[in-house]
Amino acid sequence: MTSNHPPKITASHVNVFYGAKQAINDVSIDIGNDEVTAFIGPSGCGKSTFLRTLNRMNDTVPSARVEGEIELDGENIYSPAMDVVQLRARVGMVFQKPNPFPKSIYENVAYGPRIHGLASSKADFDTVVERSLRRAGLWEEVKDRLSDSGTALSGGQQQRLCIARAIAVDPEVILMDEPCSALDPIATAKIEGLIHELKGRYAIVIVTHNMQQAARVSQRTAFFHLGTLVEYGATSDIFTNPREERTKDYITGRYG
Amino acid sequence: MAAGALAFLILGLGLIAWLAARVRATNTRTAATRRFSSLPVHHAWFVALCTVLPPLVFLGVWAFTSPALVTDAVLATPAAVQLPPPGFDRASILSEARELAAGRSYGAFHELAHTLAPAYAAAQARFDWIATGLALLLAFGGGAAAFARVRPGFAARTHVERVVMVLLLAASLIAVLTTVGIVASLLWESARFFSIVSPLEFLFGTHWSPQVIDARDPGATLGAVPLFWGTFFIGAVIAMAVAIPFGLMSAVYLTQYATPRARRWMKPTLEVLAGVPTVVYGYFAALTVAPAVRDLGAALGISWASSESALAAGLVMGVMIIPFVSSMADDSMAAVPASMRDGSLAMGATSSETIRRVLIPAALPGVVGGVLLAVSRAIGETMIVVMAASGVATLTLNPFASTTTVTRQIVDLLTGEAEFDSPKTLAAFALGLTLFVITLLLNIFALTVVKRYREAYE
Amino acid sequence: MSKSLVPELPTTAAEPPARRPTDWTTGAMQKRIRRRYAAERRFRLLGMAAVVLSAAFLAFLLIVMLARGIGGFTETRVALPIDFAAARLPVTPAQLRGRGADLALAGAGLEGAVDAAATTAFGKDGADLLSDGAWLTVRDAVKRDPALLARRATVEVPVASAIDIAVKGHGTPGAEATVQRLQARGLLSRGLNWRFLGNADSTDPTRVGIWGAFKGSLLTMLVTLLLAFPIGVFAALYLEEYAPRNRWTDFLEVSINNLAAVPSIIFGLLGLSVFLGTWGLPRSAPIVGGLTLALMTMPVIVIAGRNAIKGVPPSVRDAALGIGASPVQVVFHHVLPLALPGILTGTIIGMARALGETAPLLMIGMRAFIAAPPSGLRDPATALPVQIFLWSDQVDRGFVEKTSAAIIVLLVFLLAMNGLAIYLRNRFETRW
Repeated sequence: MTSNHPPKITASHVNVFYGAKQAINDVSIDIGNDEVTAFIGPSGCGKSTFLRTLNRMNDTVPSARVEGEIELDGENIYSPAMDVVQLRARVGMVFQKPNPFPKSIYENVAYGPRIHGLASSKADFDTVVERSLRRAGLWEEVKDRLSDSGTALSGGQQQRLCIARAIAVDPEVILMDEPCSALDPIATAKIEGLIHELKGRYAIVIVTHNMQQAARVSQRTAFFHLGTLVEYGATSDIFTNPREERTKDYITGRYG
Repeated sequence: MAAGALAFLILGLGLIAWLAARVRATNTRTAATRRFSSLPVHHAWFVALCTVLPPLVFLGVWAFTSPALVTDAVLATPAAVQLPPPGFDRASILSEARELAAGRSYGAFHELAHTLAPAYAAAQARFDWIATGLALLLAFGGGAAAFARVRPGFAARTHVERVVMVLLLAASLIAVLTTVGIVASLLWESARFFSIVSPLEFLFGTHWSPQVIDARDPGATLGAVPLFWGTFFIGAVIAMAVAIPFGLMSAVYLTQYATPRARRWMKPTLEVLAGVPTVVYGYFAALTVAPAVRDLGAALGISWASSESALAAGLVMGVMIIPFVSSMADDSMAAVPASMRDGSLAMGATSSETIRRVLIPAALPGVVGGVLLAVSRAIGETMIVVMAASGVATLTLNPFASTTTVTRQIVDLLTGEAEFDSPKTLAAFALGLTLFVITLLLNIFALTVVKRYREAYE
Repeated sequence: MSKSLVPELPTTAAEPPARRPTDWTTGAMQKRIRRRYAAERRFRLLGMAAVVLSAAFLAFLLIVMLARGIGGFTETRVALPIDFAAARLPVTPAQLRGRGADLALAGAGLEGAVDAAATTAFGKDGADLLSDGAWLTVRDAVKRDPALLARRATVEVPVASAIDIAVKGHGTPGAEATVQRLQARGLLSRGLNWRFLGNADSTDPTRVGIWGAFKGSLLTMLVTLLLAFPIGVFAALYLEEYAPRNRWTDFLEVSINNLAAVPSIIFGLLGLSVFLGTWGLPRSAPIVGGLTLALMTMPVIVIAGRNAIKGVPPSVRDAALGIGASPVQVVFHHVLPLALPGILTGTIIGMARALGETAPLLMIGMRAFIAAPPSGLRDPATALPVQIFLWSDQVDRGFVEKTSAAIIVLLVFLLAMNGLAIYLRNRFETRW
């Protein structure tokens, strides 16, 4: 571990089944605080599925079954006592295709604080919205048109809006599921710069099929293949000196 | 207290409860518990629902059970001794007394009703006060108990949302309740019918003339086979002979050949055909089509062609059904993936060959399902046959002759002043049950055909 | 160490077989291709003919209704000279200025005076030339201008039904002769029949109006909407968003889909036996009609609602869930607003269908002769399509045009409702 803090999220012996089919096979991993962890691997290897277990988004799929333990700050998030609604506010998610609500930019960001009761007066809401948009690097571009529809922005701006929306509820972890795969290189570069700034405040887990992106933004990288965690370690180690043959084949492009 | 005023009062109490709870929830919210606990508005709704729902549920149940209790109270008074034994007379006297007491009528047929009216009024008033008292008690009780639970950490939102889910579930159950109601009421009345007329005589008898019912052998003139035949002949043969070719070819043209601009006004035009009320179709059939059919029959040498011919009703019914066939065929042809069509065209087939050999076979389950659903609709159609077909049951293969259908007979049997218990009236329910079962089976069969034979394109 | 992941590829190449391309230039082949194209043209023509003929039939129906019904909105009037002064009616102008005017006029024997004036003007059968309601027109004229009572005046009063239809071209020879006479004297005129829109049912086709039936329809539709819309929308939300995937839910779905296909007359039987029989609600009242039609319309709204809710993309739900909204919040804050246009469209179409329904209302007794519009939900009433049905049975030839005119009114309303639904659908439906 590169940091001295205890890990933010600990997963032990996690298995995920969709009906009879097993998608995740005995994965154990620690996600550290204040750093970026990347999940890489070829298509269909389960990295997105595993990401979604971290905020219980798999609950929305009726045939999904999760075994094993996943702990956030020591609390098992799958225990019946855990309130899913609170969990999802503490562990935010940004999706592959930007999905702002069909409301105004202001309302998109204010929605989370509104339903969780984190702000009450208009002034409070204004503060939260401005702070979140600033942290997401979007404030300067939209401050004059907060009442415009969120869906009228460009792809890259929409994704930053989604990040601002996730930030507005003061999460502890931000999960990103291939956030740049639908964006052009310039927007991608902006998002990567944003991730670099955000890692000081939040634990970030990013799933990406772009190895170079993983090498650029993350401090630790996990390589998944066919539902198993093949190798996990510091990014520099994984990309320059992987221990597993499979990892080396993937990194060098012989497979994928 | 009048029902409306009471309901108003309860809703008013609910509003007060809502406001009070919100104030309390806002005041007791500390900074530490601010994050992610229930908002004050959730607490407010929780208290309001606990105030309003129990009395409303109670009043609903009360509305069903109290008339019997009031009647029992009246029967216990001394004046009630003079009532005849339970039966039609007693029920009518009691209902007259009830109307008098409520001020909804001023004169009564029976003397006894006047005597009993004051007793009725007194009993009703007494029970009304009991109901009001209990309702208000429930409102205050529920509200107070809920209010005491308002504090930080109380999962008000969860409880409120659970109530919302129950409401949603209840709404869905009303649909089931309706089906149960239909089946139950039809079965009940039909059972009474079948105790007078044997089911075999009804289902397989060929003589239908309900005007002459021999009290000793009612089933002899209540054989429904001519009705079944008429329904089949008009709805499934003649109407479908019009609807299937027109519907299918319209769907083919609209999906495969028409330009988007043409399709944009052609499709709504076909849908308008489905939107015209059946009474208008019926009037048109009686006014214009039936005389034309009779003249056509005369021109063809059939001088006795009826002016209430099966052909007239069937033709108009067929036109009405065209949009049903067309839209189901349209949907199933559109569901066939473009890649299949492209594959055929890429081999050098013409459009019509592609349609006839690839698309329609691929879409066939959906088309057949659509036809079956259309038949079911035609069989259940009432107004066209009431206005354009006749009421005399015949077993004929001649489209220019008149015949009658199940739906027409249901209407005819329930017209007029027949008593509710006579074989005529009950026969209508037996016919209704038969119609319901047949359309149900047709629909289930249609859906099974579509589901089982449809290729899953994904 | 695990083995390498790089897949193995085959290295041998197969020999291509010899081939001979098809010869497209032979005569037989050309002939076949021409025949295929001809078949294509015929097929296409057949399809277009099907659409055009269907549209033509619709146009034919509408034109026939319009042609027969447009006369119902006009009426023929005859100029009737009345000598009020000579009639010496027991009414003074002072009485007519207050609120007791109608009462005073009702007892004034106006009918007799009008009949007498008709006999004077047109001969011994003169009174038969006038509509039964002619005296009402005279009464209104006197109310407007009480000074008439002191002198002679000519009032344009509506004619009897036989004369009216003779003017419109369908009368008996005797009536036609009378019309010729009157027209020669320049006494006949035509005007708009406003009473058709304001009156209730009557036995005299010149006095008949659709307002009674229309108000009955409105009240019934109100009850239907208030019951069917919330129940339908809530049931749709439950089935699409919250219902677990098990046998009970399947049963629920099948129930609702079957209900949508049950013939409407069965609902009438249900209303007859349960609402009128078991619950004892008043016969032919809008509340019973509304209840029956609500049960019939609710499955339509459920199905339209489910389709609209299915159209909301999962990304919106994922986004809301991801931020920690509860399932109820996801549905009511996000899904329902986006599905609302589709739900409203389906509701309007369902209500339009209910407005045109006749059979269930016949079953619950709305087929009586109702001479006054209903004033409440529990009063006996009729509905517009039922009124059309009842008038179609009338023997008097004057009712033919009234029936068609009522059909025109009904169709105009349905057209407006469907047009609104289509407008809503086009304007608000978002393509995801």
